[in-house]
Amino acid sequence: MNRSYLDYAAKRIGQAVIVILLSYVFTFIVVSVLPGDPITNVLRDPQNGFSEEEIQQIIAAQGLDRPVLVQLWASLSQFLSGDLGLSMRSNRPVSTLIAEVLPSTLVLATSGLAVAIVLALVIGYGTQFLPRRYGQGLLRGFPSLFLSVPNFVIGLVLIHIFGFQLGLFRVINADSFWATFFAAVALGIPVSAQIAEVLIANLDHEARQDYAAVARGRGISQSQLFFRHLLKPSALPVVTVVALTIGELLGGSLITETVYGRTGIGSLVQRSVTTQDLPVIQAVVSLAAVAFVVVNLIADLVYPLLDPRVKLIGTVKPRPATGDDTFDDRVEGIPS
Amino acid sequence: MSAILSSHPVEERERGARTSLRIPISVALSLAIIILVIAWSVVPGLFTSYSPVVGVPAQKLLGPSFAHWFGTDHLGRDVYARIVYGTSSSVTSALIAVVIGVVIGGLIGLLSGFLGGWTDIVLARLVDMLLAIPSFLLAVIIVTALGFNTINAAIATGISAVAIFARVMRSEVIKTRQAVFIEASFILGGSRWYILIRHILPNASRSVLPLAVLQFGLSILVIAGLAFLGYGDPPPASDWGLLISIGKDYLKWPWLVYAPAFVTIVTVLSVNRISRWLRKTN
Repeated sequence: MNRSYLDYAAKRIGQAVIVILLSYVFTFIVVSVLPGDPITNVLRDPQNGFSEEEIQQIIAAQGLDRPVLVQLWASLSQFLSGDLGLSMRSNRPVSTLIAEVLPSTLVLATSGLAVAIVLALVIGYGTQFLPRRYGQGLLRGFPSLFLSVPNFVIGLVLIHIFGFQLGLFRVINADSFWATFFAAVALGIPVSAQIAEVLIANLDHEARQDYAAVARGRGISQSQLFFRHLLKPSALPVVTVVALTIGELLGGSLITETVYGRTGIGSLVQRSVTTQDLPVIQAVVSLAAVAFVVVNLIADLVYPLLDPRVKLIGTVKPRPATGDDTFDDRVEGIPS
Repeated sequence: MSAILSSHPVEERERGARTSLRIPISVALSLAIIILVIAWSVVPGLFTSYSPVVGVPAQKLLGPSFAHWFGTDHLGRDVYARIVYGTSSSVTSALIAVVIGVVIGGLIGLLSGFLGGWTDIVLARLVDMLLAIPSFLLAVIIVTALGFNTINAAIATGISAVAIFARVMRSEVIKTRQAVFIEASFILGGSRWYILIRHILPNASRSVLPLAVLQFGLSILVIAGLAFLGYGDPPPASDWGLLISIGKDYLKWPWLVYAPAFVTIVTVLSVNRISRWLRKTN
């Protein structure tokens, strides 16, 4: 725990706080300042049957009659003190609404991530040890294939095959084990592609190193080589990638929950979007940004501690370079 | 010692060196598919004689056959015709999304990398902020604010891609800025803006191309996702995502899902293949 690490940590934490604040402000601007004024649109929708007096009450209760900057300030300070406000629809605290559905989404997202990691490991193992002519090329094509399939299609295909044809589960019973399992698979497959891409590149690199040749020369088995030698150095940079996929998991749950008829954060967002329940949308999006920033912050802070090479060199610069003073190079999609 | 410890670069070079002008078969196939898709979107009438809107109720929910390649839907409309006519909207909207991402993101990256200093720091935080909001969620809230239709879905998708382009552009600009020929141009009396436009922009843009192509495929998926959730144009339209969304209520007649899904996947796969090829030949 040297000085430069502490500097690095302080800087990253500072950046994280700024990014969280900015994303709150940005969401606020998008949700409440852009044209269309969803508030009056929805409230005045005759179908909803609010009287003019009730509309005024709601507007006053939400503080919508104040100047935008005042609203922003009030809303932001509320958010920072942990108060997410009231739903415009049900008048219940947004935090309660979120708390009700969060466990379901957490189950889905963590099992989705587990599926993704296992799948990525299997693909990674295969690319190293399957016969070069047959399985390898196919396996190397998997991440690219996974990234080309809309995740709702994966969900629907799984429902069609395992639900309709094989009768393994019924979509109506969304919380049953198999329904959850296949929802997790649908969510995890596209995510596994990102993890697998990085893992394969790292495994290829490590497999060419001298130590791998020496290990092979000693005559150890393939799985020993993989798990004991190749996996650890290859998996370290993957930590950062896994942290980045949290956005994918949250965004994907929006669609997967719709496909599988689950109640969760995703369906909450969808409902709030159709009813233009702005406080709920604002809260969910901001919390998603907080989750993303915090998870990535942790990954960035832990990374230099996990990878001794980083400490040996002295400058704290993890390989997917996050400590750079401003931007960093971990661009998804195209490795430089 | 430190070279070993600090791990990486090099290696990729050996592969890049032997790429020639020959186009691999898979890339040629991908290009052919993309050309077909573009043709579908420009002159859909050439490819099918059925109407995408008016169906024959007596022929509803027929399986794939020679008369109806992809079968018919619940209103007796030819699914192939629906897909062909929906192409234009799906492709155009993805294109709009990419243009928005490239132009705004590219500009941010260019300024941030070239000017450096405070501009860089401020823009970097803005880009971080865009990255922090899960991109699909970002697209959803923007399309909510703009209103539900396909063009707005495209704009939302484009904005959610700004950050990626900004990052790549910035790192390319910084790489280019340090090149000797930039120094030479500066010594020869080139002004900052001249160098930026004449030298840095073209050089830095080169690696943005494969990314833009990749993003095109991704945008098709994101826009399909938004259409699937009902944030695109409503039903008489036949965007691919919307077709799949309609098909999900008729899973007993699976071609209603599989046909548009197949077209979407093959298109995106082709686009990704071309992007990969462009990246390697660069």
